[in-house]
Amino acid sequence: MTLAIAKLVPLLGAVEIHNRTGPNAPCQAQNKAFCLGWAVDNFDRYTTPFLNQLLLVLLCVALGFAIAFGLALISHRRRWLVSTFTGATGVLYTIPSLAFIFLLLPITGLGWTTAILILTVYTLQILFRNILAGLGNVPPESKDAGRGMGMTDRQLLWRVELPLALPEIIAGLRIATVSTVAISTLMVFANVDTLGGPLYQQITFKTNIVIAGGLSILMAVAFDALLLGAQRLLAPWRRPSREAIV
Amino acid sequence: MEAGHQAASVSYRDVTKRYPGQTEPAINHLSLDVPAGEICVLVGPSGCGKTTAMRMANRTVEITDGDILIDDTSVRDRDPTELRREMGYVIQQTGLFPHKTIADNIATVPNLLGWDRDRTRKRVRELFDVIGLDPALGERFPSQLSGGQQQRIGVARALAADPPVMLMDEPFGAIDPINRERLQNEFLRLQAEIQKTVLFVTHDIDEAIKMGDRIAILKQGGHLAQYATPAELLMAPADDFVEDFVGADRALKRLALMRVRDINLWEAPLAFIGQATAEVRAKLNGAEVPHALVVDSERRPIGWLSDSDLRGDTVPQKPDTGPEPILDADDIMRDALADLLQTETQYAPVTDAQGRIAGVLSVEIISEFLVSPEAKVEEHAAVERPRAT
Repeated sequence: MTLAIAKLVPLLGAVEIHNRTGPNAPCQAQNKAFCLGWAVDNFDRYTTPFLNQLLLVLLCVALGFAIAFGLALISHRRRWLVSTFTGATGVLYTIPSLAFIFLLLPITGLGWTTAILILTVYTLQILFRNILAGLGNVPPESKDAGRGMGMTDRQLLWRVELPLALPEIIAGLRIATVSTVAISTLMVFANVDTLGGPLYQQITFKTNIVIAGGLSILMAVAFDALLLGAQRLLAPWRRPSREAIV
Repeated sequence: MEAGHQAASVSYRDVTKRYPGQTEPAINHLSLDVPAGEICVLVGPSGCGKTTAMRMANRTVEITDGDILIDDTSVRDRDPTELRREMGYVIQQTGLFPHKTIADNIATVPNLLGWDRDRTRKRVRELFDVIGLDPALGERFPSQLSGGQQQRIGVARALAADPPVMLMDEPFGAIDPINRERLQNEFLRLQAEIQKTVLFVTHDIDEAIKMGDRIAILKQGGHLAQYATPAELLMAPADDFVEDFVGADRALKRLALMRVRDINLWEAPLAFIGQATAEVRAKLNGAEVPHALVVDSERRPIGWLSDSDLRGDTVPQKPDTGPEPILDADDIMRDALADLLQTETQYAPVTDAQGRIAGVLSVEIISEFLVSPEAKVEEHAAVERPRAT
């Protein structure tokens, strides 16, 4: 454990502010709210962290969705499994992210594997519960009619239940994606250079905070808007949408 | 319409349904035969098992004991999904899929059966015709239709693959009374054409009497209390339960099952224009109807002779009292009574298809029929049920 902390300390302690000289130095020295000149000169330093974070979020939400979807399908017709899965994903969800990094340190060390593992696990609870809520909200008479007209269980699931659960499923994806964007900044402590990298390295330099934080927020908003659009497109029969259950 | 499947007979053979953990069976040794092409209504108070009984036919509820035969084939020997695709299925809340367009909803079973796209599209268009709705509705979603339209689509969807048997579980239960009556009439008209075998569940005895060729009354615990035609049920309830369920006004309900020609009409003395009133006065002595009816040379009613008319020498061209209401021999008795009461007359001439006088109906005939029974009805109403138009 001491070793782990020793590894993290340089990261946490790195609060040096780069590039204090040059044409933009006065703005930086006064630490104004936003130094445009500096931002233009230094924007490229955010490119890699941004792309890293984007990749991480996409990977983890996709992976988390695949797992949660599988769990939901397994427990859909075996109701007794629901509480088991809800409990298990719920417990995982309560682990603080920094503690999670320490817990995984002896097993997977620092790096992408650890970050992917943690973020994926965090999405499970939200996604699992929303998929189940969506399936649970399918009108019983639609299921009755489907079965009564001779759909097999599989046909009922894919032709009736899942399409009708889609709005709730996408609502779950929206929440999971936005929270994954937020938590992914912390993965800098697992040694993945997300936007958390520049953020925590220059925590007192306002322009940096605005850019790194702003990019992260922008990413979250963009994902949310995309998914909302998908929801509208894929569920044209239902406007306005019901609220998701989290 | 496509070349239709023949309707199939449905036969319940000593069917019992027991749910695990319950001592009393939900359906208790139910046996009934529904001839092909007839509507069998399962009716009873809630909890009598009528829906359970219906659902065992397509095995959405499994049979515990006994058997159900569709045209002599046991449903237990059939694959449940295949069996269900051969039976139309209509339920109260329509069960239309909210996420599918109306056209896709109607195409559900054809799609399950793997029909090619052209055949399905053609059939869907046909069905809009059959139920009398605009095919342009096909692009809409169910929530954009009225309740009555949705229920019509529900029927169209059930008919899509032209199944020999239809299961209908309170199909018009959630519709307001005016639209319900309209839907019932439409369905009866449709049924006269397509002649499916229909198992129809309702809790409403009036609906049962209207829709059923045969009615199975079930009571608590899934016992069959009586299985009979509507007329038999109204005339001879098997026990107190049936009598109670059919209602104190069952005599009145019988009127809905009869036509005017089914009853013994009275004869009025006929008077022809220009005839001497003395002859007419002579006919009036001891006549069933104490008024003389003026008819033209084709024996079409023109009016009733009043006392002052009779004081003249000859029968006038225009008697004081008009003939209204004139009833048709094919009128439903309940409507005829309503006409009599509305015009506040004792007697109404009844005419045949050519408009010629066939007899006179009086309030007295109807009231006699209501208090005294049976014989007359048994011959007619039991074999012939009025088709609402």
